Amino acid sequence: MLRTEEMLLNVGPQHPSTHGVFRLVIKIDGEIIKEATPVIGYLHRGTEKLAEDLTYTQIIPYTDRMDYLAAMTNNYVLCHAVETMMGVELPDYAEYLRVLAMELGRIASHLVWFGTYLLDIGAVSPFLYAFRERERIINLLNELSGGRLTFNYMRVGGVKWDAPGGWFDRVQEFVPYMREQLAGYHDLVGGNEIFLSRVKGVGVYSQETALQYSLSGANLRCTGVDWDLRKHEPYSLYERFDFKVITGETGDAWDRFKCRMGEIEESLKIIEQTFDQMPAEGKTMAKVPRMIKAPPGEAYVRIESPRGEIGCYINSDGKKEPYRMKFRRPSFYNLQILPKLLEGENMANLITILGGVDIVLGEVDG
Amino acid sequence: MRGLLKGLAYTLKNMKQEKITYNYPEEPVPMPERFRGIQKFYPEKCIVCNQCVNVCPTDCISLTGKKHPDPDQKRKIIDTYDINFEICILCDLCTEVCPTEAIVMTNNFELASYSRDDLFKNLEWLDENETNVREEN
Repeated sequence: MLRTEEMLLNVGPQHPSTHGVFRLVIKIDGEIIKEATPVIGYLHRGTEKLAEDLTYTQIIPYTDRMDYLAAMTNNYVLCHAVETMMGVELPDYAEYLRVLAMELGRIASHLVWFGTYLLDIGAVSPFLYAFRERERIINLLNELSGGRLTFNYMRVGGVKWDAPGGWFDRVQEFVPYMREQLAGYHDLVGGNEIFLSRVKGVGVYSQETALQYSLSGANLRCTGVDWDLRKHEPYSLYERFDFKVITGETGDAWDRFKCRMGEIEESLKIIEQTFDQMPAEGKTMAKVPRMIKAPPGEAYVRIESPRGEIGCYINSDGKKEPYRMKFRRPSFYNLQILPKLLEGENMANLITILGGVDIVLGEVDG
Repeated sequence: MRGLLKGLAYTLKNMKQEKITYNYPEEPVPMPERFRGIQKFYPEKCIVCNQCVNVCPTDCISLTGKKHPDPDQKRKIIDTYDINFEICILCDLCTEVCPTEAIVMTNNFELASYSRDDLFKNLEWLDENETNVREEN
């Protein structure tokens, strides 16, 4: 029997597979991970503290920079929280625009995950295909909001712009195109034996564990928990749409893959239904005072971001700035299960498990 | 084995497709009409109302006004106007609040520079930045 020694290994903070500046200190014995300690905070900017000195409109660009892969949902959660406190009713047209933007963002975010996850595991070409499609979405959102990632599109009481001419047609063209590509992805990797053997039965956790760790999004649904805030606590106009909540069974990396890919399909369905229901034109802003002041009190709202449940808590003393603001950032909560999952795993599974959690470091560090 | 071959078929099918990449920076990347790029400033339109300074989330704009040279005119005119592009996040809020559209966005986005000092843009520079000016602000 060969005698092995424990070794301390630093993964990151500048490591391509950690998708940002995330450091993982692992103790390995041969190939087996004994202990993993995530070190976070390299991208911490103190959004919540900064927000205390900013007016509500000024905070919106800051939320763009938390989950920078799906900034529309971040925009939404802040505006939704302030609107809830002020009791603002949004025009339908503005809500439909928001839903369109958010669902496009969800697809773009899952595409990045799909591409980079496969890249981490060792397949290079899916990354290129996924980014090709994502680029189309980014261009669409760029036309709509004027930014490629940091949209700053929503405002308290509505949205900044109406859709530009021909934009709806381009989104409608995109849906069948994306569906065709999605079928291609399943051909490309869905049946690939190498990929399947890398993800099946890797990083398994039970429903109880997932709930104890407060996981949300695809990380929770892969264990079979049927929980999607769009369905079970409908916000915006989501109760008007017919879509399925994709759940897994076993709670392994393969189920997480299936959940996310399924969600792209469901998002496409929502986009299609939006066009069926949407009024041809309407107001993009509700009547809101020029200086936005949330009434004294507190509110917590939560919505379903691509990564899970994103929440915004505002405590206001009636001024134009919040007294205290807190974001429940799903990546941060989802990441906490990582040390448990990695314990006793083979070194080669580290990246499969970390990638499967789907973290965005801007969101983890806030 | 079947799965691998199916994947290979997809790759081969995509080989025939047209290239979708840009030959940047040899060819410029077209940006849509609403794109938020480096601001253009019109000194003659500015009424020194300070709204852009107040709304800026990163406090990157600083301006000063002076008395109008014509003693009959009571209003102020702009004297200096600086934007620090080290911290400007191009969020569009300054152009949104400007009542006279004295500050507007352009489609230009190339700000990379060898020196941090170059990122400090003054009134003259912002006035001369007059290509690809956005129409709707």
